[in-house]
Amino acid sequence: MDRGQLINWLKEPAKMSNKYSLHVVYFCTGCGIIEIPPSITARWDAERFGVKPVATPRQANLFLITGYVSLKTLKPIIRTYEQMPEPKYTVAFGSCPIDGGMYWDSYNTINHLDKFIPVDGYIAGCMPRPESIFVGVTHLWTMIDKGMADGYKRYRENYDRYRSNQEELYGELGWPPLFERDEKNAQ
Amino acid sequence: MLNEIGKQIEQSFAGVSAETGGEYRLKVEADKESVLSILGFLKNHSYDHLALISCVDRIEAGQLELVYLLNSYMESDDRYGEREKGTIILKTTVSREDPEIGTAIHVFQNAEPYERELHEMFGIDFDGHPRQIPLFLEKDYAIPPFRKDFDTRDYVEKELESIPAVED
Repeated sequence: MDRGQLINWLKEPAKMSNKYSLHVVYFCTGCGIIEIPPSITARWDAERFGVKPVATPRQANLFLITGYVSLKTLKPIIRTYEQMPEPKYTVAFGSCPIDGGMYWDSYNTINHLDKFIPVDGYIAGCMPRPESIFVGVTHLWTMIDKGMADGYKRYRENYDRYRSNQEELYGELGWPPLFERDEKNAQ
Repeated sequence: MLNEIGKQIEQSFAGVSAETGGEYRLKVEADKESVLSILGFLKNHSYDHLALISCVDRIEAGQLELVYLLNSYMESDDRYGEREKGTIILKTTVSREDPEIGTAIHVFQNAEPYERELHEMFGIDFDGHPRQIPLFLEKDYAIPPFRKDFDTRDYVEKELESIPAVED
């Protein structure tokens, strides 16, 4: 263990444990998921960073959006994100969730993921190599240290606007709001 | 063998032209009224796999071209008797304004999802289809999205770009 970190462990043990056990929900959207098997197996071994895929969103605190987000996948993405316990972090992976990528004028792919759920960080590339996942993870550590990875707080604060964006896309969503909606803040 | 079956189809059905292309390939063009009976005929003549139903939007001609792809994988042998091997491409056209054709489910049961997909992507109405409900799409589109006059850029600007960003 890094002795320089000792003081942080004593000060904020929960935050440090969170940081070093990023459990990724095993959710495949698009082509980026092809980079996950090499990352978690022996060749690159993501577990040395504490990154480990888990079966259900209830056990997870990191959500990798791996690839383009079609209208059909966005619905389960929102539901999965809402089921994850806080603190939770979202990292969009590849160029498609950033601005649409090669699906920029598709009839069935959303262009900006951050209009619908908060995103803490982006890993650019098409596709990003496993090394860049780890660069992203170490960057996320820094952000957690500084308290900048606050996507779940922003989701809580701006829930009205996120929810109204989701409803603008789909019409009726089919599940009740996660938080209480404050109609004053709604657009 | 494929020449023979092509000639048989041309003789049995009206308004059909058959053309061989290579050893194992036959292209048949037919009216939409005779398509189903040709499919039944071919099914009885060892072409028992409907691999795909596809569609091409011939926007200049004002027509949608339906493509049925039929396969037969084995030549005659002791166990399965008289067969032949090859691929038959069966093409027909329906009008773009009022695209309607009878369903092929009675002949090939696996036509069901293909026809559902064509119904939502090209707006073709399959007469007699038991459930023409959406297969892939989440939303309703004014123009079916695989037609050539569907402007994807315009659609993205109107429907997706108009959604405001939550934060900077």
